[in-house]
Amino acid sequence: MAYITFENINKTFDTNHVLKDIQLEVEQGELVTLLGPSGCGKSTLLRCLAGLETVDSGIISLNSEDITHRPTSDREIGMVFQQYSLFPNMTVEQNIGFGLKMKKLPKEIIKEKTQNIIKLVHLEGKEKHVPSQLSGGQQQRVALARAIVTEPKVLLLDEPLSAIDAQLRRVLQIEIRKIQRQLNMTTIFVTHDQDEAMIMSDRIHLFNAGKIEQSGIPVELYTHPKTKFVASFIGQYNIIKASDLSELIEESFTKETIAIRPEVIQIATKEMPQNNETLQIQGKIIDLISRGNILRYHIEVSRNIILKVDTLFRTHSLFDLEQRVWLNIEKRNIIALD
Amino acid sequence: MKKVNFSKWMMWVTALYLILPLVLTFLYSFSSEWINVLPTGFTFKYYMQILPRQDFYMSLARTLLICVLTIVLAGILMLLAMYVVTVYHPKFDKYLQILCMIPYALQGIIIAISILTLYSGAKGLFGSRIIMLVGTYCIIILPYMYQGIRNALRAVSARELIEAAQILGCTRFYAFFRIIVPNILSGIIISSMLSMGIIFGDFVVVNVIAGSSYQTASMFLYKTMAQSGQATSVVIVVMFIITLILSTIAFKLRNKTH
Repeated sequence: MAYITFENINKTFDTNHVLKDIQLEVEQGELVTLLGPSGCGKSTLLRCLAGLETVDSGIISLNSEDITHRPTSDREIGMVFQQYSLFPNMTVEQNIGFGLKMKKLPKEIIKEKTQNIIKLVHLEGKEKHVPSQLSGGQQQRVALARAIVTEPKVLLLDEPLSAIDAQLRRVLQIEIRKIQRQLNMTTIFVTHDQDEAMIMSDRIHLFNAGKIEQSGIPVELYTHPKTKFVASFIGQYNIIKASDLSELIEESFTKETIAIRPEVIQIATKEMPQNNETLQIQGKIIDLISRGNILRYHIEVSRNIILKVDTLFRTHSLFDLEQRVWLNIEKRNIIALD
Repeated sequence: MKKVNFSKWMMWVTALYLILPLVLTFLYSFSSEWINVLPTGFTFKYYMQILPRQDFYMSLARTLLICVLTIVLAGILMLLAMYVVTVYHPKFDKYLQILCMIPYALQGIIIAISILTLYSGAKGLFGSRIIMLVGTYCIIILPYMYQGIRNALRAVSARELIEAAQILGCTRFYAFFRIIVPNILSGIIISSMLSMGIIFGDFVVVNVIAGSSYQTASMFLYKTMAQSGQATSVVIVVMFIITLILSTIAFKLRNKTH
């Protein structure tokens, strides 16, 4: 049996059915991400596991025990909130030691564990500071330390990096992952940022309107989306009506909608050698966007189809606006969507 | 440059406007006779009339007692009510707000007469004039206590802090009173000071409910007004000094909580 299981979980707020028959499993030691747009139910599921929300129906199990109706304080779960929720009147030491104090551990043990965890999250020297004296990144580390010092069975992270700038976020993503692996802590991470999910996760569950749209390892979700929603949420897929593409290239498709990743399309100024495994289309560059190390071309191939094509940026663009180009796509990279 | 000077000038004018009545009251308490523009002379006579009087200090003590009892009772009741609303029934906040704002619309005398009518024949605790007085003042200061505590709760995101504390193993009750309340002490202190000022200066309610059986500072002041203006000014100056000292202590406490 999996370490955490959600069986047929349903939750409604007033008339809003937020979680619809959710079935989900998490193995011990995994870092699983619940990914999805705002309002899809991912945070609600996390809060149900924490005991901060009740479920209307279904069973939540942790280490083979049914915890569905257990009080929050008895679930042995650690949680980091989006706004950290550090106690403003307590120092870093007191914030981190609070959970241990609630467990009525001896003062010496609390002090030792607190000092060890402060070293782990690199907050030495900040023990006597209060949260208002800390930067966003430091506050986040205090929140993380406070959550893990009690050695919970599960660590829950509810969009903990959303309030932090991009550069610091990248650093903290790696740090969190490193600490999670070091402690082999079963972790559930909630985010709406698909890049963050890709970087951090062992598995991703993509939510849409209260249901799990697709689950899998990051690479699988990225390279093999099953539905239009997944393709549009993960990556920057070109999503095209199969009938529109069929008009251009005498090829038929099994499904109504197809998806192609921008980086798998090759672009050249002249026709490339073809074979049965590839398709070639001509088009005109109508836009060019620089996104750091990626150059994105918008290429009009027909009245109904504008394809996004990504290339690695070297020193300058190899193609100009209004230029006619040839696009080469391997058929195995064309994904039929449900 | 001109704009800055104008602001400073306005500030000094406003300060003067507010302080001038106090300064003149203070000067008047020392004056022997003041009919024309300036007093004819200065004397400590009226201070020697008022300060040795034991009933003056008793009236101040009674006022302080009523203040403390009212503020403590109203504070505890308000905190308990806010705990229930914040933790269990956030949707009821608007109804609590309506209930707490009703006393704004009622004159003190209406509340006092209503309470007297309801409880004057009661036996035991409810028939006690002090209990009635404390209860009446609790109602009168309700809007101030509610608003101050509510604003402070919103500033600290109380629900999120309580959830974080619950996850760490404590009950909601413990979380509210050991984590939230220390963080809203500043708001509680300010509300208490505002409430104290209202109770200290009230005459109508105490006169209607307690009458001469429980003489507070404002009733002593009223009686002194019949004697002389200078003696009245002495009482006002002493009352002002006491409220100033209490306010200073409260602000120092508030700064300490920050």
